[in-house]
Amino acid sequence: MTRLLDLGIDRIRNIIMDMARLSEQSVFTSIDSYDKGTNVKKQIFEWSEKLRVLQDETADLAIELIARYQPVATDLRFIRSCMEIAYGFSRFGRYAYDIVEVLETIGYINDCDKTAVLGMASTVREMILLSVEALQLRDKNASAKLYEMDDTVDALYRKYLREVITPQNDQDKKDMNPRCYISALLILRYLERISDHACYISDSIHYIMTGRSSPRR
Amino acid sequence: MSNEEELARVVFSQGSENALKEEQKEQTYKVSIKKLEAWFGTKQALKDISLDVKENTITAIIGPSGCGKTTLIRCLNRMHEMTPSSRSRGQVIIDGIDIYDRNIDPVIIKRRIGMVFQKPNPFPTMSIYDNVAAGLKLNGVKDRQLIDEIVKESLQGAGIWEEVKNELDKPGMGLSGGQQQRLCIARALAMQPEVLLMDEPTSALDPMASTKIEELVHDLKQELTIIIVTHNMQQAARVSDYTAFMYLGALVEYGPTKKIFENPEKELTERYISGKFG
Repeated sequence: MTRLLDLGIDRIRNIIMDMARLSEQSVFTSIDSYDKGTNVKKQIFEWSEKLRVLQDETADLAIELIARYQPVATDLRFIRSCMEIAYGFSRFGRYAYDIVEVLETIGYINDCDKTAVLGMASTVREMILLSVEALQLRDKNASAKLYEMDDTVDALYRKYLREVITPQNDQDKKDMNPRCYISALLILRYLERISDHACYISDSIHYIMTGRSSPRR
Repeated sequence: MSNEEELARVVFSQGSENALKEEQKEQTYKVSIKKLEAWFGTKQALKDISLDVKENTITAIIGPSGCGKTTLIRCLNRMHEMTPSSRSRGQVIIDGIDIYDRNIDPVIIKRRIGMVFQKPNPFPTMSIYDNVAAGLKLNGVKDRQLIDEIVKESLQGAGIWEEVKNELDKPGMGLSGGQQQRLCIARALAMQPEVLLMDEPTSALDPMASTKIEELVHDLKQELTIIIVTHNMQQAARVSDYTAFMYLGALVEYGPTKKIFENPEKELTERYISGKFG
């Protein structure tokens, strides 16, 4: 016999998986727009708003399930974690929007060197896919790999920041275009935050499965 | 901080804090159950139960019907042996003394270990006052002033004094179900027990009366060690410091209530408390 609580848990799981797909799409589209110079601000804004609404819906449903069914053990941990995961996906959407907003504010950047941003974006894309896959498979071990990748992302961000602050020679200084390094720095920062949230999502999965906080956190 | 906030802070933090403090204390137990087994005729009701209960804590015993919860607490004050064809084996040690030792008088045990039952059972022909005083009188207390004091203290301790202080001579049966149950708790408290056993004490009460009993249990913990059998999982989670889960006469898991309800060790416990049984 199906528990009444399971009907609610299925609903919350479906919302979370919808959020996973939408947040993934938002971040990937914003990165593509940086790469190709396309204007997707309106679309990303709509997706970001939808993610925020779904986050509220997740919280409302979680509170309702706790109030009506008093879940315990794995059920309780799952519901609590869904609120955190929903927040993470909502942040993905917000950072995707921040990225396209940077592009609109700064203007034309097709002449900039995009290697640093696209390099980090590639790692962050992989992290998003890995965190969503871990959620689908309830893989409690994904956090180790994600934190390793997060270290790489953090290092890339710090490296670029250092390069901007302390150019190696006069030629470097001459080549530095504020539109390029400001846009790159801001976007690298947003990608770095997305990377953090991918790790937090895997922490939540670890907590659901084991009842313990992730060892890294 | 408002009173409500202060109350919420105390209630929400106390269970885990108590459990932690108790863990840090030297491991001395008010009640130690060792390899306890019990039978009704040839049917074994308890299988090799070992369990240590710390002083001034509330321990909830949960499990499906027929798992041996009631039998277990009836063994803790030697009520089990009053059932024809029943027997038990093992030790129940209270403050270092085995209550099943042949030199121990079961009557003294029942004085030290009070019991409250599922259905409120005031003595039907007695007044409120006499219900509480009955045990004292049976035990030879004759000093009227002393009895008056103990009756008042017990009714206060059971949180019912203000409601009945002007009608002590009225029949106990005239009270509401919740009041009757608190009267029964007062009756148990009058004997100044050290351990209070409660067998589903709120199952026959409405939510308001149940809440009062739960608050009372929380307060009584300052003076007593309480073991409560309950079918209400949320009640166990709310009131107890420790929870024991029983199944088919065996103790499956025992630990701090927070741990049992958030992250139980055993799959069987998880399935039971989550309602995934059967």
